[in-house]
Amino acid sequence: MTGAARLSADQERHLVVAAGSGDLDACRRLVEEFLPAIGSLARRFPHGIGVQRQELLQEGVAGLLFAARRYDPDLGTPFWAYASYWVRKAMQDLVAELTMPVALSDRAVRALAAIRAARNEHLRRHGVDPTTDQLTEATGFTRDQLHRLQAAARTPRSVSGPAARDGEGGAEQLGDGHAELAFEQVLDAIETREVRDLAERLGERERTVIRAHYGLGGPAQTLKQIGQGLGLTAERARQIEAAALGKLREALARPAPPLDSAP
Amino acid sequence: MRSGTTALRHTALVYDSREEYVARAVAFLREGLRSGEGAVVAHTRPGLALMHEALGPDAAAVTFVDVSAAYTRPAHTLAAYHDVYAEQLRAAPSLRAVADVQFGPDPGEWDLWTGYESVFNESFAHLPAWVLCTYDGRVLPEPIRDAVWRTHPVVLDDEWTRSDRYEQPGRLLRRTAAPAGPLPGLRPIGFGRDAEEFRERLARELVAAGVPEHRTLDMLLAATEVAANAVRHGGGVRDVRVGRVAGRFACEIVDAGPGFDDPVAGYLAPRPGIGSGLWIARRLTWQVGFFRAPEGFTAQILL
Repeated sequence: MTGAARLSADQERHLVVAAGSGDLDACRRLVEEFLPAIGSLARRFPHGIGVQRQELLQEGVAGLLFAARRYDPDLGTPFWAYASYWVRKAMQDLVAELTMPVALSDRAVRALAAIRAARNEHLRRHGVDPTTDQLTEATGFTRDQLHRLQAAARTPRSVSGPAARDGEGGAEQLGDGHAELAFEQVLDAIETREVRDLAERLGERERTVIRAHYGLGGPAQTLKQIGQGLGLTAERARQIEAAALGKLREALARPAPPLDSAP
Repeated sequence: MRSGTTALRHTALVYDSREEYVARAVAFLREGLRSGEGAVVAHTRPGLALMHEALGPDAAAVTFVDVSAAYTRPAHTLAAYHDVYAEQLRAAPSLRAVADVQFGPDPGEWDLWTGYESVFNESFAHLPAWVLCTYDGRVLPEPIRDAVWRTHPVVLDDEWTRSDRYEQPGRLLRRTAAPAGPLPGLRPIGFGRDAEEFRERLARELVAAGVPEHRTLDMLLAATEVAANAVRHGGGVRDVRVGRVAGRFACEIVDAGPGFDDPVAGYLAPRPGIGSGLWIARRLTWQVGFFRAPEGFTAQILL
């Protein structure tokens, strides 16, 4: 018996490892399998603490996927016995964050208002939340400024807030819509943070050469075939690939500046 | 203990209340800020909010790092901190950081994270950084409490106290890290003429095994680094074996050299004079291990 009732221990192990390794389909299946267990943990948080059920679910999903990335099956601990700690911790952190009486400076409040306005405008125009890059473009803040504000400036909520909001009071069952939304939002964040990282460091042509050469997303091609497709010689395609790999290597091993070069 | 930091100071604090954490962490950071040092706070989001509030106007000069998802594997966590510290050190001559340590509930992985704290001493030894690792004493298991003194040369108790239990990282890692061994069921694919053919062969296996695209690239880069080491220092690649083992894609690279015995290899942050191949391989994969076998010294990479 595993935390996900429909899986054998072996299936669960494979699913967790695949999800932890970045397989998005496996992430999706893992969340589907464990959503009832996450929902059950979410229901243990009392109503009226100023945190929406959907927010708890979202954090729970993030906690589950974090656990999958950290879980080592060789240690012998059943996955849910391990993951439930991180799911609960993620929810507890959210509750602490949202109920903490944090007073923001006037400047921070104004900055947050600008971010909120940009986000709402983007939502109105495009129907989806903006990415960090889109927010930086719209507000003029740097990514660093945005992250700082977001780290410390979630809207404070009182622990003595209303007992139920948005018609969720007393509801023990989690709606599929909530669950789906929770998962999609967490998945988007993961994709943005991890999946695109390496590829983002490459130019379009470099990406094309590497993907084609190694059969990523299509049949593998020789450098000669790739060169022909791009109107280049095979040697030029090889040079582009070598430069791309060198660029990735450099980015992954970039040293901190030496002491004598600091300002 | 004053900063004037020219190399790493890796210190620790075990706090018994939220108030104690905030008071000591804020005093520590403000002293550095007054001296023109950079400042970093790493914590969960509630911890960051708390520190942001307590620092007041000084918060504007501090970089806040959400660690909620950072502690997945020691090499990944080291890389994440290195990126943050390197960024800070482009703007300041030295820095101070307060990092709340996230231990999980499973005693089976405590050795792994104790090893991380230990290797931190050598990984960032060259950086002008004074790092204060903080531990919530209210929930700290006894083995971790002991490990704090074994992995930090100096601990902030009633005052800064030099640890008489501190262990050299190499010794601690050798004692706690599980040795790798050959994996069953892997298939030999050979190295080919050169690194390019090696990557082509490996990529075919990764794609056939259904490894996601971005992870395939991770493995190609990691294995290229390990193979380059084998060619450069190990007398050439004798064989390459690949396959899926318990859900993970595995690649073993056997070389012709005598091998090495260095438990911190690949954990040292990039710097002049230090090879960065294993650092790259570790940060892109789940695990890189080494063992001696009858057919040769073997590097084992698990994705």
